[in-house]
Parts: sequence; structure tokens; C-alpha cells
Amino acid sequence: MSLYEYRHTASPQEAADWTPRQQLLTDLRAVGGRAYPRVTGMFREISWLFFELLLPFLSTSAFVFVYRALQAPPEYVGFVVLGGAMTAFWLNVIWMMASQLWWEKSQGNLELYFAAPMSIMSVLFGMALGGMVMSSTRAVIVLVIATLIYRVQFAVDQGPLLVIVFLLTLAALYGLGMMLASLFLMWGREAFHLTQMLTEPVYFVSGLNFPVVRLGLLGALALATLPLAVGLDAMRQLAFVGAAFPIGTPPPAVEALILVVMTVVFLGAARWMLRTLERMARREGRLSVRWQ
Amino acid sequence: MTVSVDPIDLAGLGSPAWGGFDSARTRGRGVRGLWQSFRTAAHLGWQMEANWTDPLLFFIYSVAKPLSAALILVVMLDIVSGGADPAYRAFVVVGTALWSLVLAGIAGLAWSILDDRERYRMLKYLYVSPSDFLVMLLGRGVARLAVGAMGAVITIVVGIAVLGVPFEPAVVDWPLLVLILGLGLWVIVAVGLLLAAVCLQTRQESWSYPEAAAGALLLVSGVVFPLAVLPTPLQAIGLVTPLTWWMEGVRHAAFAEGPSSIGGPGSLWLDLTGSAAPEAWTIVLALLATGVLVTLGAIGAFRASERRAKDRGLLDRTTGS
Repeated sequence: MSLYEYRHTASPQEAADWTPRQQLLTDLRAVGGRAYPRVTGMFREISWLFFELLLPFLSTSAFVFVYRALQAPPEYVGFVVLGGAMTAFWLNVIWMMASQLWWEKSQGNLELYFAAPMSIMSVLFGMALGGMVMSSTRAVIVLVIATLIYRVQFAVDQGPLLVIVFLLTLAALYGLGMMLASLFLMWGREAFHLTQMLTEPVYFVSGLNFPVVRLGLLGALALATLPLAVGLDAMRQLAFVGAAFPIGTPPPAVEALILVVMTVVFLGAARWMLRTLERMARREGRLSVRWQ
Repeated sequence: MTVSVDPIDLAGLGSPAWGGFDSARTRGRGVRGLWQSFRTAAHLGWQMEANWTDPLLFFIYSVAKPLSAALILVVMLDIVSGGADPAYRAFVVVGTALWSLVLAGIAGLAWSILDDRERYRMLKYLYVSPSDFLVMLLGRGVARLAVGAMGAVITIVVGIAVLGVPFEPAVVDWPLLVLILGLGLWVIVAVGLLLAAVCLQTRQESWSYPEAAAGALLLVSGVVFPLAVLPTPLQAIGLVTPLTWWMEGVRHAAFAEGPSSIGGPGSLWLDLTGSAAPEAWTIVLALLATGVLVTLGAIGAFRASERRAKDRGLLDRTTGS
């Protein structure tokens, strides 16, 4: 039987009383439905190939040339390339996850999301999945091209752990994005400015182009709170084994555990915040108030 | 948000004293009308940029981005060279500070298009208003440029006060500095116009395009390293980019003893001219020449984009993903 096929019920309450299977399937469809425009959008307008692939590669190259101008050891070039690839995910998280619910509110879609018979978390999961596809494309291309052009030598010791750390970094990053989505919605117009403030300052404290341990206490704080900082540090330790750079951060396995904790905390917080926000928004009637 | 309107202007909206139709109004009021459009758009842009929060938070927001960009490079320098060369430190701090101005200027115009079309859905109304669309857009962009300028100045001050950037006011060539800064602002607006032309055609996700374009220009403009480090073809591209000459001009005027971003050992400039670094008059002429080319290209691109947007109904399009 189709999920949405008519079935005779005695009352509206009975009709609204969905089975767990119906709820799950609807939520899964919502995930797919929300991811769809992000993936399809990649093929609808090809300007992103130039602006999201070529230009970020050139931007990453600028930092490679800074190290070359300073005659830095070659592994530092590798750091920059890895950091440049990971920025794709961070930019996606702050621009297309954290700010997204606020955009949707401005465009008049948010009230439709809340009125639809699905969990709003599935909308966020869908956005995250679609965003990951977009960002992974950019990250892989920047990584591959830059590695080939600048002859980056990776020295990978524990491949499976590297893959696990990468996936955990994505999970924690997008979990943070889901959490920020509620906060940004609450902060309103301020969110747009916060989006910008979360770019370079986060790159700096995360040690995007240099080992984060160099920042001392600030670096330690970043490792405890920012998935980008922990993930990058763990990936560098695993991808450039034996490289001459300052050590002092926890080993990759410990950083993987930190990422697990971050993922759980961020996802839990995102769920709680969404529920709280929905309750507040319904009570105060602000779901459809735009541009504030 | 409220925009104050001069009562005299409101009085001018009434019928002429003789009660008929004043056809001159349909032709606009020439330079005075353009100036009024620009002024109103700049005021509106500033209100939109600055009225969302308290001044302290606004200040932090304006400064955090450029300062962090400078700190990233300072730490990179320190890690590799121990920060031994203060001249090179000045090079990167000044470069990143000025670049925040470039970024703000480029993004200002492009984001005005996206703001008004995608978020506020006002672009079509603004377009059909009696104001000149281009002038209005420039006015909106000026507000973000002002925020960027504030960030750039504070980053340089922090660089001098905290990061050890050597600065001697007595040796600064102030007239050259003022001239170069003025020409630079004009070039930044021209590049911003080019990006606005692109964003008129693209979808909502083009919020990140100005930043991506600025990131790419960073490579060839001698912002954080001398052009001599680059392969020769990229150096050649850098030499025809007005922002390269702007950077060199500011450094030449304010930090004459520091390294040149254009010349130096191994540079294409040295090969072509035989001189270690360009003279002041060469910098001004090159900035003027390349700036004129970029401006003409930007205006042409914007007008073409505007025509295409009208043809295809892009002025009231909203997108999303």
C-alpha cells in the first residue's frame, strides 16, 4: 500500500495517528526531498564550476606561494592544500546550513516546513547531505589538482583511521551547522554578519594553514570546541607521518573520540534547540515574520 | 529601519504651481538627481549594514575578519622564519589589511544585487524607479566599502602597535598615498561592478562568488608575497591587474624601505625593465591605465548583464537550494 493512499478512518485524530513506519518513510522522503535541489542545482547552473572549483584552488595556491616565498619545508604546502580542501565544508556549513533556516524564513518557506507532517530534523539532514555532495566535489578537486601541481607528498600511516576521522569531522561539522541553524534563526539579521565573522577568525583559531598547537591556549580551546580544528589536526597527523612540525596535540585516536563527542553533543543540541525554537515561534507567532 | 527624507524633496513631489504636467520630471534632474540617488542609496546601505546591532558588536564584527586574516599570515611567518624580518611582516599585514577593503568593495556591489533580489525582493521595484540603477548600486556598495575601510585602518593600527610593523609617519609620501588610495577605491568599485554583473545572472548561492574572486586575485596581486615567487605567466597576469599596482603604490608611499611586490630578484619586472622596483610615476600611470581598462570592461559587462537580465526576467527571479 502506498504511504499516502486513502484509508477510511473514523475521525481526523485517527487519520493523523501515523504508524512509526509511515513517520519514518515520510522523514526519509523529506531528507531526500531537501537534498535533491542541492544536488540537482549543481547541474542546473554551471557557473559554480568556475567560482567554486577554480577560484578556491587559486586562493589555496596563494597560501602555498606564501610558504614557498618563505622557503618552508614541503609538508607545510601539504598543510595548506589539506586546509584549502576542508574550507569547502566549513563554508558550506556556515553559509548553507547555519544560515539556511533564516533564508527559508525570509523566503517564506519556513512556515511550510513546520506545517508539513515531518520532523524538521529531516529537513536539516537533507540539507546536510546535499551540502556534503556539493562540498565534497569541491574539496576533492582542490585536493587532487593542488596535490598534482604542487607535488604534495602524503605519508599515510593508518588509512582506515584517516577515513574515519574525515567522516567524523564531517559529521561533527554538519552537526554544528544544524545546531547553528536554530541559533541563527533566533538571532535574525545578525546571523548574516555572524556568518562572515565565522570565516577568517575560525580559519585562524583552527590552524587552517599551520599546526594549531602553535596557538597555545587558544589552539587548545579550538580543539575542544571546533570540529574543523580537531579534524584538521588529526588528519595532518595521519596524512603527514614523520613531518617536522610542532607536536603537542592529542594523538589522532583521541581526537577521533573528541569528534564523536562533538557529533553527539551538536546533534542533541540541534534537536533540542529546534524543538524549543518551534515552541517559541508558535507561541510568539514569529514563524512568518520576515527580514528581522 | 527608517530613512529620513528631506522635507524640501517631499514638497517637490507635488504638482507644479500651474497645475499641469511637468515633462522635465520624466527626464530626471541631471547630475543633481544622480547625486541624490547616490546619497540616498549610500545612506540606506549604511543603515542596513549598521543598524542591526550595538556599536561594540559592530566594531568587533568589522575588525575580526581582516585582523584574523593578518594573524594567519603572521603565524605562518613566525612558524617558518621565526618572524625575523619585520619588513616582510609589514608586507603581509599591510597586504591583508588592504585586501579586506578589496573584499568589502567587491562584495558590497554584488551582495546588493543578491540582497535586493533574493532576500528583500525589491530589485524589480528599484530597477523601475526613476533613479539610475547603476548609480543606486554604487551608493549601496559604498556603505560596505566604508565598513571595509574601517577594518583595514584598524588592522594596520594593530599591526603597528602590537605586531611590530615599522611605520615612520615622517617618511611617508602623503600626497602619493592619498592619490593611490583614491585611484584604488575607484578600481575596487570597478571590480565590484564586474561581480555585480555576474551575480545579476546567477542564483542565490553566488553569495560566495565575490570572496572566491577576491581569493583568486590574491594570488596574482602581490598581496601577501612578492610576484617574483610566481611562475612568469602568472607574474604577467599580475602586471596587468590594477590591484597589483595599487598594493605596490601604497607600499611605495607608506613603507618605502620595505620589499617591492612587483620588482626584486627573479621578477618579470626586473627582466623587462632592468630596474629593481617601479618608480612612483610608473606606478601611478600603470594604475591609471589598467584601472581605465577594468572600468570600461566592468561598465560594458554590467550593461550587457542588465540587458540580458531584462530579456530573461532575471530581475525578479528568486532561487534557492
